[in-house]
Amino acid sequence: MDLDFSPLLDSWRFLASGLGLTLALSAAAVLCSFAAGLLVALGRLYGPRWLSVILVFYIDSMRAIPVFVVLVWIYFAVPILTGHTFAPFWAALTGITIHVAAYVAEVVRAGLTSIRRGQAQAGYALGMSTAQVLRVILLPQAIVRMMPAFGSIVSVTIKDTAIAAVIAVPELMRQAETLAGQTYRPIEIFTAVMLIYFVIIFPITRLIDRFYGRVAHLGRS
Amino acid sequence: MTAQPRKNADRAPMLVYKDVRKRYGSFTALDGVSLHVNPGEVVCLIGPSGSGKSTLLRCTNGLETLDGGEVLFEGKPLPKSDVEMRGVRQRMGMVFQNFELFPHKTALENVATGLITVKKMPADEANRRAMALMAKVGLSDKTANYPSNLSGGQQQRVAIARALAMEPHVMLFDEPTSALDPETVGEVLNVMRQLALEGMTMIVVTHEMSFARRVASWVVVFEKGKLLEEGPPTQIFDAPLKERTRDFLSHLGWDG
Ligand SMILES: Nc1ncnc2c1ncn2[C@@H]1O[C@H](COP(=O)(O)OP(=O)(O)O)[C@@H](O)[C@H]1O
Ligand SMILES: [Mg+2]
Repeated sequence: MDLDFSPLLDSWRFLASGLGLTLALSAAAVLCSFAAGLLVALGRLYGPRWLSVILVFYIDSMRAIPVFVVLVWIYFAVPILTGHTFAPFWAALTGITIHVAAYVAEVVRAGLTSIRRGQAQAGYALGMSTAQVLRVILLPQAIVRMMPAFGSIVSVTIKDTAIAAVIAVPELMRQAETLAGQTYRPIEIFTAVMLIYFVIIFPITRLIDRFYGRVAHLGRS
Repeated sequence: MTAQPRKNADRAPMLVYKDVRKRYGSFTALDGVSLHVNPGEVVCLIGPSGSGKSTLLRCTNGLETLDGGEVLFEGKPLPKSDVEMRGVRQRMGMVFQNFELFPHKTALENVATGLITVKKMPADEANRRAMALMAKVGLSDKTANYPSNLSGGQQQRVAIARALAMEPHVMLFDEPTSALDPETVGEVLNVMRQLALEGMTMIVVTHEMSFARRVASWVVVFEKGKLLEEGPPTQIFDAPLKERTRDFLSHLGWDG
């Protein structure tokens, strides 16, 4: 079998633009799902009972439905139901965020509840409000403790952006498919794509682990 | 027994407990406790584990709600509203058995955090005050350390400084030396003794009988959620009125 990597050399700009979009979508999805997941966790832990019932249902659903299905549903069903079309990028961002936020929420909840009661009591004893105890004492420790789990969520989120290809978001995977179709060089192109994902994600997870090793003691009460 | 006048008995009491009751499910942790604490007194609470001593402290600063009776602080019942209770808590310092320092903050930040977060004091002023308190507990050279880099005794001294930063009117100590290595117990007790000399009102749950004997102005013996006996240390340690007080003390190895 002879391999020919010249299509990559000729069309690297095409793939690079896909990579740019992959990175943008990943960054936006990570930010949005962490913010949303934090709110969901706080709502579940500190909100009124009806809210936590709804949020538990949401979390359970997201853990039971493939992100692929969520994304396709948002892209095709939401316009029919609401009459508003969704640009593919925004549909992908929304779908991935809704899905990943549920996992983030569970991690945040586990982090918060793992901190022993005396820490909150020490804050209350100083005269802090519940919001201050959360912000000043519990969340900083929880975030440190959650870091390894956050690392996995970040890598899963970046990988999940590849399924945005199915709704024609011109991100890395979609560009690769197009290029492979045009050049008949799927092996070379998809090998390159695999390497690109690895080269992005591997250092990120390693860095997070490394950083966690440095700061772990800050979360140990 | 010749009755000794109790310290500052002529002044209005700092804390009054009237028939305080607390249940956890069907278990009665406090079964009608009545006592009072005068300003400037050091009241030691002693008694077997599980007798309700910690529960009484937590009922004092509202970390637990009462099921009956009432607690008066500086003449007023503990407020029901959360906002007012936070104001009361600022005037009560609490020191925990496990220190409960905030692990993500340096020693100095631990001491300053109440001033900054609760009293909204500017950071540089709060840090100056925190620095002075670190000096007071003998830890000027450890201000930048995280709790994980301090010995147990040092952590507990930081915790005392953290509570003192709020300028409390009363300090509540819940077995402050029980989690410490024997060689660091003394440094914490010394800080507490110094505070007592300065006239701080203190309630101290402790198993350190020699501390109670020497520093307490009043000793309260708990048993099964009830007050078994109270009196000056000379009475409790040398001539207890109750046989079970004597049993408890001899159980701890106290030979009078
Ligand atoms: N949050 C709680 N829930 C249930 N039981 C509790 C709780 N706190 C304390 N207790 C029980 O109340 C009793 C008194 O506890 P505590 O005040 O801690 O005793 P002490 O400090 O004298 O050792 C113990 O038997 C304990 O098991
Ligand atoms: Mg106790």
